[in-house]
Amino acid sequence: MTILVSSNNNQRKYWLLAGRIALGIIFLVAAYAKVKPQAGMPWSAGAIKTSLLMFAMQVDSYQLLSSGAVAFVAQTLPFVELILGIWLITGIFVRGSTLITSLLLGGFFAVMVRTYALALEINCGCFGPGEHLGVKTLMRDGALLSLSIAMTVLAFMRKRASRPLPEAQPALEAR
Amino acid sequence: MRNAGRSGDRQTGILAAAAMAILCVGLMAPLALRAQTAAHHDTGKSVPATDEMASKSFGSKSAPITMEVFSDFECPSCRMLYEQTLRPMIQDYVASGKVYLVHRDFPLPMHKYSYEAARWADAAAKTGHYADVEQALFDNQAAWSADGSMQKYVQGGLSEADFRKVAKLMEGCELSAAGVKPASGSTAQAGHGCAMDASIEHDLALGKAIPVEATPTLRFTYKGRPYNTQGFVSWQLLKQFFDQLLTQ
Repeated sequence: MTILVSSNNNQRKYWLLAGRIALGIIFLVAAYAKVKPQAGMPWSAGAIKTSLLMFAMQVDSYQLLSSGAVAFVAQTLPFVELILGIWLITGIFVRGSTLITSLLLGGFFAVMVRTYALALEINCGCFGPGEHLGVKTLMRDGALLSLSIAMTVLAFMRKRASRPLPEAQPALEAR
Repeated sequence: MRNAGRSGDRQTGILAAAAMAILCVGLMAPLALRAQTAAHHDTGKSVPATDEMASKSFGSKSAPITMEVFSDFECPSCRMLYEQTLRPMIQDYVASGKVYLVHRDFPLPMHKYSYEAARWADAAAKTGHYADVEQALFDNQAAWSADGSMQKYVQGGLSEADFRKVAKLMEGCELSAAGVKPASGSTAQAGHGCAMDASIEHDLALGKAIPVEATPTLRFTYKGRPYNTQGFVSWQLLKQFFDQLLTQ
C-alpha cells in the first residue's frame, strides 16, 4: 500500500512540476512583453517607462479603474507576474503559489468576460500591445485558468496524501 | 486499497491531461492568429499624405508626434474618446504644436450608418468644416445611430451656406434604406458614385495594413517609430504618454 500511495503521489508530483513550470514560463513571458521596449527602441529606463505607460493605456481601456488605480496596476502588475513566474518555477511553497496564480488568473478572466459582455473593443494587454480581446483571448485565458486550478487541486491533493495515516489504519493493515 | 490507488492515479492523470489539453487548444488558437496577422504588420513607415488627410487633420504637420485615430462615428468608445480625450487634446497639445492629429475613417460593417456618417464628415472636410461635422455627429450619436437621420444634425452643425455646399458634394452618395454601403472599391471602379468613398477606402486600406481590428485604434508616430493602442484612453494618461515620448 505504501508503494501504491507513493507511486500515486509521484505521478501527481510530476504533473504538478510540468504544470507549474508551464505557468511560470507564461507569467515570465507576460511580464517581459509588458516591460520590453516598444517599436524597436533600445533598452533603457525611458523605454521601459514608455512601455509601462502603453500598458497603462490598455488597462485604462477596460474602463474599470480610476486613474490612480490604473497607474498602480500598470506599474506593479508586470513585476507581480515576474515574481509569480519565478516563484512557480522554484517550487517553494507550491500550494501558495498555485493558489495565488489561480486567484490572479480568475480575476483576469472575470474582467475579460465583463469587457467582452460589454462589447468594448479593446486590446487585451495580456502579452503586450496589439492583441485584440476576443473569443480566442477568452479561450486562452480560460485554458490557463483551468490549468492553474488543476495545479492548485493537485498541490493540495499531494499535501493531503503525504500526511501521516491515522492511528487506526496500521491496525487494519496488520490484519 | 490497490483499487483506491489506481483510481487516484487515474484521477490525477485525467485531471492533468485535461488541463494540458485545454491549455494546448487555448494557446494554439491565438498563436496561430498572431502568426497570421504578423505577416500583415506594417514596418512603421510613414503614411503617405493625401489632400483628404490634410482636411481631416488638426495642428501642424511639423509637430514631433503624429497621432492617427482610426474611428467609427457610430462606435460609443470613439464618441467617448472624442468627447473626453481628443477635445482637450486639440485645445492643449495640438494647439501648442506638440501633436499633429489625423482622423482616419474606419467604419465597421457591424454599424449600419457609420459609412454614411463618414461620407458626411468627409464632404464637410472638403469644404473645410470637418471639425464642425465631427462634433455634430459625435454629440448626437445616440439619436442618429438609431434611424440614420444624421443629415439634420450635420445641418445643425453648419451654416446654411456651408451645408448647401456639403449637401451638393453628397449628391449621389445616398445609401439604400437599409444603410448598405458599397462593396470596397466598387464606386471607384465604376467611375461614378460618391466622391467621398475614395478617401474612406484609402483610410480603410491603411487601417487594414496596421492591422486595425477595432475602433478606436490610436497610432502614434514619434521619430519614425510607430506605437499602437486600441480602445478609449483618458486624456490624463495620454498626456503622460506624450510627455514621456517627448523626453526620449
